[in-house]
Amino acid sequence: MSTIAVGKSVPRFDAREKVTGEAVYIADIQFPGTLHVKVVRSTIPHGIIKSIHTEEAEKAEGVYGIITGEKADFLVGICIHDQPPLARRKVRYVGEPVVAVVAETEKAAIKAARLVRIEYEELPHVLNPLDAIKEGAPLIHEDLGSYFHLPTFNPKPGTNIFHHYHVEKGNIEEGFRKADVIIERNYSFPHIAHAQIEPHGAIARWSKGNELHIYSSTQAPFIVRSVLSRVFNLPSTSVRVTVPYLGGGFGGKSDLTIEPLTAYVARFFPGKWVKFILTREEMYFGSLIGRGCYSTLKMGFKKDGRLIAAKASMHFAGGAYGDYAINIVTGAGHNSTGPYEIENVYVDSYGIYTNTPLVGAYRGYGHPEAHWQTERHMDIAARELGIDPVALRLKNILKPGSENNLGQIIKESNGNLEASIKIAVNEIGLGKEKRETEEIARDHNVRIIKNTSKGLDRRAIPVITKKEEERFAVGRAIAPLMKSPVMATNAGSSAIIKANKDGTFNLLVSSIDMGQGSITALSQIAAETLGIPVEKVRHYRAADTEVTPYEWQTVASSTTWKAGSAVRKAALSVLDKFKETASKVFDVSPSELEVRDGKVWYGNESIDFKELAKGYVFPDGHAIGGPVIGTGAVVPHGLTYPDKKTGRGELAAEWTFGCQAAEVLVDRKTGRIRVRKFVTVLDIGKAINPLMAKGQVEGAVVQGMGAALNETLVYGEDGRVRNASLTDYKIPTPEDAPEELVTIFLETPQPDGPFGARPLAEHGIVSVAPAIANAVRDAIGIDLYDLPLNQDRLLEAIYQREKGKGGDK
Amino acid sequence: MSVEIKINVNNRDYRLIVDEEDTLLYVLRERLHLTGTKEGCGNGECGACAVLVDGEPVRSCIILAAEMNGKNIVTVEGLSKVEKDGTVKLSPIQESFIEEGAIQCGFCTPGFVVASSALLEKTKDPTDEEIEEYLSGHLCRCTGYATILKAVRKAAEKTR
Ligand code: FES
Ligand code: FES
Repeated sequence: MSTIAVGKSVPRFDAREKVTGEAVYIADIQFPGTLHVKVVRSTIPHGIIKSIHTEEAEKAEGVYGIITGEKADFLVGICIHDQPPLARRKVRYVGEPVVAVVAETEKAAIKAARLVRIEYEELPHVLNPLDAIKEGAPLIHEDLGSYFHLPTFNPKPGTNIFHHYHVEKGNIEEGFRKADVIIERNYSFPHIAHAQIEPHGAIARWSKGNELHIYSSTQAPFIVRSVLSRVFNLPSTSVRVTVPYLGGGFGGKSDLTIEPLTAYVARFFPGKWVKFILTREEMYFGSLIGRGCYSTLKMGFKKDGRLIAAKASMHFAGGAYGDYAINIVTGAGHNSTGPYEIENVYVDSYGIYTNTPLVGAYRGYGHPEAHWQTERHMDIAARELGIDPVALRLKNILKPGSENNLGQIIKESNGNLEASIKIAVNEIGLGKEKRETEEIARDHNVRIIKNTSKGLDRRAIPVITKKEEERFAVGRAIAPLMKSPVMATNAGSSAIIKANKDGTFNLLVSSIDMGQGSITALSQIAAETLGIPVEKVRHYRAADTEVTPYEWQTVASSTTWKAGSAVRKAALSVLDKFKETASKVFDVSPSELEVRDGKVWYGNESIDFKELAKGYVFPDGHAIGGPVIGTGAVVPHGLTYPDKKTGRGELAAEWTFGCQAAEVLVDRKTGRIRVRKFVTVLDIGKAINPLMAKGQVEGAVVQGMGAALNETLVYGEDGRVRNASLTDYKIPTPEDAPEELVTIFLETPQPDGPFGARPLAEHGIVSVAPAIANAVRDAIGIDLYDLPLNQDRLLEAIYQREKGKGGDK
Repeated sequence: MSVEIKINVNNRDYRLIVDEEDTLLYVLRERLHLTGTKEGCGNGECGACAVLVDGEPVRSCIILAAEMNGKNIVTVEGLSKVEKDGTVKLSPIQESFIEEGAIQCGFCTPGFVVASSALLEKTKDPTDEEIEEYLSGHLCRCTGYATILKAVRKAAEKTR
């Protein structure tokens, strides 16, 4: 199919604004007379607030007011309402906001905040989820039983479990009885930080007419609106949420973060804009963090490698408030045993309160945790079974006709996992012979797009001399992946397209372009559908609940696929209206008309879009039609609630399958792992914009490398985050980009995706850690189960092994 | 304590009374409303706030405005040229950042393009060591860096 807009690597439309410094982000918004907020946070992990002394702070220069949680008689949340905007009565983690100081300038607010004194009565606390479920563990939420929650969630009042999700398929006991080889291991994935370069911010103003307008760096303006209108008891029309450019989200700005606090505080200063921007330090505990999973996986195999039973139990440290972590628990449960067909499955996934910062969505949520255990496990199993790790996987993967854990049948159109694996294996050099990737794709009858990017050359590893062989080792391995989004069954998207008299169009949606490029990709989808060059579509830059149409939220890599479908429908409805008017001009039925090149055609005669955009004017002046606006709306296809007993049902709207592969160089002396080459193969259905799609994958891979090799939030015994800075919490730098970063897209069209597209932006992170750890195993023969694979951990593992051998080589 | 400084920013002279504690970043953003320069950390850790001071890239969040008296400062807003007829001409580095997809969320971009401009001022044929010297410590959480490196190499080629 030849296209005019879709499938083209057009540079992103917002790039010019961003490269010139014109793009406005939350902190750049400066309203005259703005007041500034500084928050005083809890210094203890768990305790009762005995008294708050604000007298001195109130008298400080420039102070407008000191706000506590006392007057906040509501709890915020979406799935489970468990959090006050500012602590009331109790604090539950170090860093919890207790008092907000509002002042004329930021400096004044900071100074006054130092004068606030809070007295606590400390309670025992718990940081680890496995400890938090033990008998007698400190109870973090005594009132769990009284919290409102959506019917699909399953809190256990009287415990720290805020959600339990269970999946059952077949008969697990029988499965293990029939198994020849059973393997069980524990795995962990620590808490990590999103570390978006832009800190979160919000600016709120209550009008004197009791209407709230809030600007926020959020991925979820309609969720923010819905929660704020609920807690402040306002109609949706009285809460307006505007989102400027977003400097990176990765899930960390989804759901709710600092908006309820900002809106609550601003309530006391009607008529004033009240601005709250987090510091870098606060980014590690003042909004949302990610991951934090302790899991046990047990698998049973037949001798020939058939995987017949899998039992997974995953414990998520959700932090002091569970609302935002709750879907991670379910998402992990859906796909916890990886992209394999298994007859007997038993999964328990728990969300557990801990006295730590709040966990929320983080790129791929649930899936990197699940794949960390499963893809490590498959490698370990392969060796125990004496089967090649690639062969073991190919034997068990989900194929068309397979039934997944949830009872859904995989179709050909869901994507080609087998080809993804074979291509990744070939690219990383694990195949029997090196073949052309194109050739493998041809064997599988699938279209591919390949790109190779280069990191800094100086990282090229010199030829390892004989002498250094003892020190350095190279390893290669793969880790397949699958991901489905977790979303509300009615997670809708909608779009509006307005036609202009010069043949251009304005596109309005409420998806947030946080860097993934939705402004450009959605414009491409609109242009392709309308049959016009993409430059003729202008995507509204902000999302604004008062202007742009409903979008559930920008999460789960769902924008191109789901919002894109709404955009396509909106464009089709524009064309319908054009045709309807044109049919009256030609005096034929609309079905006899065709659209091409920005015109509506009847045989050889045509009418330009320009003549139809405002309605058509006949030569004698009389007009028909009217200004054309198209609308489109979608909800995910046929999703249902999970069955109460088995946890199964139509729970995944689609899957993206793929495979990742790593080549690492391990330095036994320093314990340092270098990723020399990294390959990602994803069946994304259709690359709407190959350049940007590749950018998503490369970014995800390097982000995933950070988590695999280095990143972890370090807690003191009291639960204080001890590495809350970019110096102490290191994220990958330019030097860390692998020498060779290969991205290959397969294009097996997704039937309900616009032009066949399916989600891709999170997926590049899902199997990075296991691919690297499996390659480390290949290099030095050591199995690692806990992330990150930092130098200390690796050196310790090498030391332990040598000790075990009784030598000290 | 306040001090008076005279600075030139993007080819305009300013005379300002600043607080001794004010950082250059604060003055650029809050006083001159040049919000193109971003604050990612305020601690000299991320590079988002880079500007050129007398041609050298500097982290504006950790230097004091009071020390800038008599200096020439270029921010991201000053990298593109406005022609006599009002048209805007981007610098080669800005162009290649756009073309290579080196921008995602764009929050780190001002820092990267400012630092890269300084690099290309110094050499038209930067080695990877030189690229690393100028860009290390600039953090981007979105791109994975490969596109940024490619954009810098390509801009160097263009300017040769
Ligand atoms: S804001 Fe200056 S280095 Fe981060
Ligand atoms: S583009 Fe987002 S931080 Fe670099």
